Amino acid sequence: MKPNPKNFRVDAAEKLHGKTQYIRDEKIEGLWYGATIRSPYPRARIKDIQFNPDFDWDTVTVVTAKDILNNYVSMLENDMPFLADKITNYYGEAIVILAGPKKDNLDEAKKHIKIQFEELPAILDMLESETSDVKIFGTNNLFKDILIKNGDLEVAKKEADEIVHIEVRTGFQEQMYMEPQGIVALPEKDRVVIRGSIQCPYYVKGALDTMFDGKKEITVIHVPTGGAFGGKEDYPSIIAGHAALLAVKSGHPVAFFFDREEDIQFTTKRHPSYHNDTAYVTKDGKILGLDIQMVLDSGAYCTLSQVVLARAALTASNCYYIPNIRIRAKAVATNIVPPGAFRGFGGPQAVFAIEMLIEKIANQLDLSPVDVRRKNLIGLGQQTPTGQILKYSVSGKETFEDVLERSDFEIKYLDFKKNNIPILEKLSKGEYPKQKRSDVLRGIGIAPSQHGAGFTGTGENVIKGKIRVEINKNGQPVIYSAQTEMGQGEVTAFQIILSEALQIRRDDVIVAEVNTDFVPNSGPTVASRSTMVVGSLLVDAANEIIREFQNRLKENGKIDFEYRQGYFYSGEKIISFKETAKMYSDLKVEKQYEHPPIIQFDDVKWKGDAYPTYSWAAAVAEVEVDPVTFEIKVTKFYTTHEIGKAINYDQAVAQIQGGSLQGIGYALYENIRAENGKFNVQGFSDYIIPTTTEMPDFEVSILENPYPFGPFGAKGLGELPLVGAAPAVVSALWMIFGREFNEIPVLPEDVFSLFY
Amino acid sequence: MKIVLIVNRKPYKINVEPKRRLLDILRDDLNFIGTKEGCGKGECGACTVLLNGRRVNSCLVPAFQLEGSTVITVEGLRNWKVFKPIERAFIENGAVQCGFCFPGFVISTVSFLKEKSSPVTLDKIKTAFGGNICRCTGYTKILAAIQELADQKDIIDQIQEDWKNEFNARK
Repeated sequence: MKPNPKNFRVDAAEKLHGKTQYIRDEKIEGLWYGATIRSPYPRARIKDIQFNPDFDWDTVTVVTAKDILNNYVSMLENDMPFLADKITNYYGEAIVILAGPKKDNLDEAKKHIKIQFEELPAILDMLESETSDVKIFGTNNLFKDILIKNGDLEVAKKEADEIVHIEVRTGFQEQMYMEPQGIVALPEKDRVVIRGSIQCPYYVKGALDTMFDGKKEITVIHVPTGGAFGGKEDYPSIIAGHAALLAVKSGHPVAFFFDREEDIQFTTKRHPSYHNDTAYVTKDGKILGLDIQMVLDSGAYCTLSQVVLARAALTASNCYYIPNIRIRAKAVATNIVPPGAFRGFGGPQAVFAIEMLIEKIANQLDLSPVDVRRKNLIGLGQQTPTGQILKYSVSGKETFEDVLERSDFEIKYLDFKKNNIPILEKLSKGEYPKQKRSDVLRGIGIAPSQHGAGFTGTGENVIKGKIRVEINKNGQPVIYSAQTEMGQGEVTAFQIILSEALQIRRDDVIVAEVNTDFVPNSGPTVASRSTMVVGSLLVDAANEIIREFQNRLKENGKIDFEYRQGYFYSGEKIISFKETAKMYSDLKVEKQYEHPPIIQFDDVKWKGDAYPTYSWAAAVAEVEVDPVTFEIKVTKFYTTHEIGKAINYDQAVAQIQGGSLQGIGYALYENIRAENGKFNVQGFSDYIIPTTTEMPDFEVSILENPYPFGPFGAKGLGELPLVGAAPAVVSALWMIFGREFNEIPVLPEDVFSLFY
Repeated sequence: MKIVLIVNRKPYKINVEPKRRLLDILRDDLNFIGTKEGCGKGECGACTVLLNGRRVNSCLVPAFQLEGSTVITVEGLRNWKVFKPIERAFIENGAVQCGFCFPGFVISTVSFLKEKSSPVTLDKIKTAFGGNICRCTGYTKILAAIQELADQKDIIDQIQEDWKNEFNARK
């Protein structure tokens, strides 16, 4: 379906013309390049840093830990230094940074810096962290320990017919945005200006304000960003700090432009996870109780791990109503590159784990995996593990039934099983499994998923996001917000929301550049919150603008004006929005977000409304496995999303396709491991992300079920498509092989090892 | 070394290191910033350009291979008549997200449509575009746009004509 021309993306033409200037495309006079000397050990004591006097050190500028006023990146725990001082805690941690005008001279300079280390014992396995003698964080290496309880597990144990247990593991995942990290710091007299590929400019500003202890004014400007997916949420603060330090010391603008290898080796990833889950079920598959234990490998520093863990824990029961539940979740420290934000933010791990548990329940009790899911799906009025009663916009059952029906799941399930019998028989006998080339194993799998929209818990009330809309001289409203365009379509969506609320042409809405000197802090561009939370402020602002114009018109003419379809009416008088706006072009409207009072959460006891609302999805994956090569391929992917209201239908579909393919990559291709603390990949040829040839046929459907407090009923969308894709794919493997799959990525060799 | 090459119809005489990459010559020396670097190893396709009529990853081509070559980047394609309908197809199909891979996709699209053998199936398109990686879109909308273009005879004719004009302009 073609989108309505009103919904065409405003940024598309410039981008495909190659005119959009990403940070590397800017011509910056006198630009110096930054380089980093990193730790070659997972954990070591830095004994000495020596600079060879034979090198001409006047040609470069060097910064070490002792040059930094406040040497920590202001985040949740402030435990991560910009540069390691006495101890380095992961392979690749920055120790010395340097800058100069010529890259080859920088490479030469690096050779003349010798760091003496004393290697120390390290924690390389997350399951050994808590009891290790090595202490990376606090007394027990726990960044966060969460316990959520509802109901009484003892009751479930007593009433259950069957106990089902599973251990599940998920791996690292790299965001693999096409544009690698890039930041430029420009020094001015008492100020540093940061320009770059940044998701959250105010995070960077906060980090630099702290680093310089307020002694420098900091301006952060968002530059067109070539994808982020969470990878440019927390990480840019570090290299912006590095660039700023070198810029101030050298007096030159300094760039950190990572190449792909540096980016994939040393920047944040999705947290690997371990789950140890037990379900107490009746013989017909009703889950009476769940005992969930999860651990997130959170690396050497806390970064955002506490919040990632919170989302993982709060998503642990996925779309199911579980009367008795205990969730114990821990974020543990290891001597590995700190993971950070990645689309889904803990959700994909949690949802994968419980969906594998569901598969195992069906497998162990010889029930249909569809029926087990259907029997336990949560509905309106039921309680989540935090005791949140779902009051509106709940569509777990509807999305599930919709995707089942659209995909002809039940029929294919039987057909595929029949297709597979002779092939599996030959495989188990060790015979050549193909009679004809088209003999492949076919599977079909399903998984529901949900994503809490907006910040976790009390987050939105802490941030209190603020926007401003100003009317310019041409009578056009200009949106000032800190939300950034990274490819997801934020600018277009904001124009649509404000223009629809004002009933004016989309082209007449302007979205201002995100520059922290001019835009208020509307909160970070994360957590599927821009459209739902900040978008709701735009509607509030629009209503106030209309009211204000009506008041002013009345003051002028002493008569009441009604506003309809872009015009103010009073008796015979008609005046357009634009004409009115030109008259009152001084108008500025500010709006600040707070949850409606109906939404309450206690983040000490983990009780209440963990999220203001949830978006719902269900996916069906059709999978083929070649019985000779064991290559696994998703051929068709059906997914139904309920997102309240699609603000830009076409681009909502685009988000769903893109996010789903990232989830398919998570399930089958994206394999990155830390070997003795060092990642074993360098780029696109050894870290495989899906290409056109791995892309399935997508059948996307969007249901609408308005959320009362979102703009036009809209909820969050950005992250959800990734969350449920991997379990749907792996569910199809359970169906084909009738064997347990409990770890992603599932590689051909894993399937091979079932038979050989 | 000194080399002469034609970029987007204009001849340039440049003095470069023999191993300097075409990508750097285009971006840093000649200011054609439409060509992007996503990996620097010929793996992602963001730096795709037409070199003597063939699509290549410009990060893999050293200067010493360039003497007398003709290079076309996205900046050059903008002047082709067929660029308009290509642009329209990608926009109307909602195919662009972050855009970083897109100049590469546009170059590959022209190359594919020029060389295409009919009928164009989705499988053929998938194979042809396996070297252009996109992380945002899931490819579906990009490939839909390409399919739509490939199915229109006047667009294929226009490509052939633009291609000829480009070639003649070289002489």
